[in-house]
Amino acid sequence: MVRRSVRQEILTSAVPTTPAISLTGTLREGLHRVGYIADEDLSTALWLAGELQRPLLVEGDAGVGKTALALALATSQGRELVRLQCHEGIDLAQAAYEWNYGRQLLAIRLGEHSDRTLSENDLFSRDYLLERPLLKAITSAQPCVLLIDEIDRSDEAFEAFLLEILADYQITVPELGTLRALHAPQVILTSNGTRELSDALRRRCLYHWLDYPNLAREIDIVRTTLPEAESRLIEQSVEFVQRLRREDLGKTPGVAETLDWVRALHRLQFKALPDDPEGLMATLGCLLKTREDRFQMEPRQIHRLLAGRREGTAAGTTAGVAGHSGD
Amino acid sequence: MANPIGAIAGFAQLLRADGLKVGIAEQQAMVLAALALPLAQIRQVSPAWRAIACQSPRDWKRWPELFDRYWHPHRVRGTIRSSGLARPSRDLRQVVQSLQDQLGTSPSSSARKSLDTAINDATNATGDATDAGADRAFGGASRTDPLHDRSATQWLPQDLSQLETLAERIARRLMRRLTRRWRTHPRGRRLDLRRTLRSSLATGGVPLQPSWRRVRRERPKVFVLVDVSRSMETHAQLFLRIARALVLALDARVFVFHTRLAEVTPLLERDSATVQEKINAVTAGFGGGTRIATSLADFHRVHARAQLGRASRVWIFSDGFDADEPHRLQEELRAIQLRGARIVWFYPGSAVPASTAMNGAHHQIEAFHRLNNLRDLSEIATTFL
Repeated sequence: MVRRSVRQEILTSAVPTTPAISLTGTLREGLHRVGYIADEDLSTALWLAGELQRPLLVEGDAGVGKTALALALATSQGRELVRLQCHEGIDLAQAAYEWNYGRQLLAIRLGEHSDRTLSENDLFSRDYLLERPLLKAITSAQPCVLLIDEIDRSDEAFEAFLLEILADYQITVPELGTLRALHAPQVILTSNGTRELSDALRRRCLYHWLDYPNLAREIDIVRTTLPEAESRLIEQSVEFVQRLRREDLGKTPGVAETLDWVRALHRLQFKALPDDPEGLMATLGCLLKTREDRFQMEPRQIHRLLAGRREGTAAGTTAGVAGHSGD
Repeated sequence: MANPIGAIAGFAQLLRADGLKVGIAEQQAMVLAALALPLAQIRQVSPAWRAIACQSPRDWKRWPELFDRYWHPHRVRGTIRSSGLARPSRDLRQVVQSLQDQLGTSPSSSARKSLDTAINDATNATGDATDAGADRAFGGASRTDPLHDRSATQWLPQDLSQLETLAERIARRLMRRLTRRWRTHPRGRRLDLRRTLRSSLATGGVPLQPSWRRVRRERPKVFVLVDVSRSMETHAQLFLRIARALVLALDARVFVFHTRLAEVTPLLERDSATVQEKINAVTAGFGGGTRIATSLADFHRVHARAQLGRASRVWIFSDGFDADEPHRLQEELRAIQLRGARIVWFYPGSAVPASTAMNGAHHQIEAFHRLNNLRDLSEIATTFL
């Protein structure tokens, strides 16, 4: 009987008559419609996060599409996106709520000149509470997507504060009591892995490592985002970026960089990648974001990567090793 | 499949044995995910469980191999089946099917137990079976891996994570110095009057949000000097790995030297398989021999001129064989010491360096530590002050 009730509990949170195949499929198609190409693993993790009502922690290098995932999810489901951008020193007042001291003070001053006496309960009511992203997500009348972006930038004390919200979808305001979510928001946390997150936080979340997309998926992403660009240009550019990622760079270009670069090449009216690396050097700022990487990727290296387009990956790699050892 | 929950508990046991943090809650979630997925989508069980069981990039990368090792052992190359042991068949489809049958439609006597109890029982049963044999040696081979004594050329992920842990332990042991300055802190004890008054402007001069300050402590600035000369060839890789861990844990500055000195901190800040190659490239033009004194002079006169002070620690990783005049090493170490820095010498091999130059410089060096492997580093981490 108990087992029966557990199963019922799971299925009641989803649509009971709809099989999971169509749910993950619909989710994936929905993301595709708004321009986000998710693979099967990612759509399963997203579906499961909704099914089990657990936050999803997405880790990966910068520019692989972690933040874009939350934006796309909210858009595809027609939900509001509530975004909390974490930074060093972020605290409760910036993330959850803050009392509107100015307004409270004004009310006290006005109360002094009127017959009405103000009690403490009057001043510490919802009217004087400023909602910050976390409280906004909890008290939202409609289900929303809560994006807690770059959680690794916040400090450990803030992480500990998040535990209550992530586990029970509630916030305790000492003056008001515990505020519970009307609809559990779909929470997505992103991290670049610059700091090790606590085990307590990780255990409350489902996990997904978002890697750089493979060639076919990246071409698909660029095509969906930039349908106006030449197909040949897209294919050659993405192949070039994929080869560039295999180089030992300080900052590996992500999908966002690929999109920027193809957009730049398209604006410069390229129909395909030129054979001459000099023509590309001016646009490489879209892909290479550090001085060392720019220095390393001199025209000779770019030429080698471009040549790889015709000679195949093996030839490119061999040339790469030879080039490196010769330095 | 008589006991699907037992099969999942066995899988969880395998994951735990491989370092994944899979507890009762995770097993419950795995069962729930398997129940919610239709059999037609059996392929989605792996990504769903992966999202539940993995908690770090390391776990994520190892998942396919672990999943196949348990559910599809025939796909894993090089697996050895021990003869004489009856191996239970594990068909994922069957497990999910019987799980859905048992928990969904056919309430048997065991199905009346709660899911929690069933998972608990299965976990305990699996744990008992494996824990009993965990510490035993089979056929003379110990299961305890002599990790500490492993040669420095064999770096496994667990070695690297242990190295990081040791570096962090060293960082914690370094005494933080009290400075004269104060810093703003929400739980400080002293009122920051200036900030309090500034923030009171927003509330009409009423200081509703006081600012607080507390004392500021700073960690010593650590400089690591690694000898990469020919005589140190076999130890340089270990020392550079340790230096990298110190860069990450302590924000140390790292220099390499043999006849000249070069800073390699930026190269060590990011993990790369080609760090050794790059360091070789940096030091490619260096001539033969080791000029420790000349390198130290370059270090304190040029590279660390503005940063050497009372709060500095200089850690030298070298065997002490110096091609400079013997008295010069003492002079240069003395110069560093006069700036207020404390010098510690880490040496490979078994004996404290005893060259003429080193014998003369003993008074300038606060301590000598042997450093051949991670076990030595572990001892240093517990005794180091």
